[in-house]
Amino acid sequence: MASNNVSTGEKLLALIDDIELISKELIENTIAQKHQKLSSSEHLLITELLVAKDNELKEALKLANEQAKINCKMEALKREVERQDQYIQQLQRQLKEAEQILATAIYQAKQKLQSISRANKRPVPSEDLIKFAHRISASNAVCAPLTWQQGDPRRPYPTDIDMRLGYLGRLSDLPINGHLLQQQNSLSDLHRTGHPPGSELPASQQNQFAWHPSGEIHMTVGGQGSVSMDTRNHTAEDVEVMSTDSSSSSSSDSQ
Amino acid sequence: MDSSEQNGAALASKLTVDDVDVEFLPLIYEIIRRYGAGVERDPHDTNQKTRESQDTSQKVLELQKKLDQARNQIRRLPGVEHSKEEQLQKLETLRKQLQLKKELLLKYRNMCTFDIPKS
Repeated sequence: MASNNVSTGEKLLALIDDIELISKELIENTIAQKHQKLSSSEHLLITELLVAKDNELKEALKLANEQAKINCKMEALKREVERQDQYIQQLQRQLKEAEQILATAIYQAKQKLQSISRANKRPVPSEDLIKFAHRISASNAVCAPLTWQQGDPRRPYPTDIDMRLGYLGRLSDLPINGHLLQQQNSLSDLHRTGHPPGSELPASQQNQFAWHPSGEIHMTVGGQGSVSMDTRNHTAEDVEVMSTDSSSSSSSDSQ
Repeated sequence: MDSSEQNGAALASKLTVDDVDVEFLPLIYEIIRRYGAGVERDPHDTNQKTRESQDTSQKVLELQKKLDQARNQIRRLPGVEHSKEEQLQKLETLRKQLQLKKELLLKYRNMCTFDIPKS
């Protein structure tokens, strides 16, 4: 091998150049005048050189053949590498996406944990919450009904009047039954402005709830039958429900 | 540019070493023999001599053409841009690269343990 750094292609081209030169020399020698001709030994040398170069060229071509096969392998490898590159890029993209999603989730979870720890540091007793809720419902409104206008006595929260109208409020006034009915009548007139005040309906039907001596309250809905409610056993439970309601609403308001 | 490169690549992939015509020696031999025969046969027949020399120059042109063609074919041969040693080195590099990439992929795929830093 002449040198390892010369590429096979260049070597082949150089060999062809050599062959061209030598053959030129040979042909020129053949057509030259007798006195200019090379000696037979020189002629022999040139011919041998030509043959040697030709053999070298054929060897180089064999090498080139091997290299072509190696080149095929390299092409296949390159394709494989490219494929792996694509896989890696795809995977990286997916990892990036996952990272983003996880980062968002972690951020939100951290915020949640922060508020939880804040709540743990300063616990608020439920009685306070209920008290606060009462205070809010007594004086403050959060939002008005959709059709509310100035002068409308309706409120988005149960006012004292509403509470007294409810049967919870009436439970405390049980002994003075007749007096209560009258009071309710006047209150409901005040509350339901759309109703004509001088209607011929008896007071017990005009009110939504009518007290019966049996201890049950019947709610009449527009005269289409009545729904009976047992008040005796569920009073405590109802109060419970109310208090939890107010606590939840006040907690949401305070945030 | 790109299409021409692709064209060249396609041509190169079609061309193999067997297609390269390097049979110069018979042609050279024929040229010398003809000339020698022409000189020896009849040195005074100018007509024949002219014909022979035309024939010979034709052959010389043929040889020239053949040499040029061989050069062109060699330039288009695939995988002769480097010497064999360099080529083998490059092949090895490619193999290593592929190996590394496969390992990287495996690493990515088996990486399912996530450490959440405690803060």
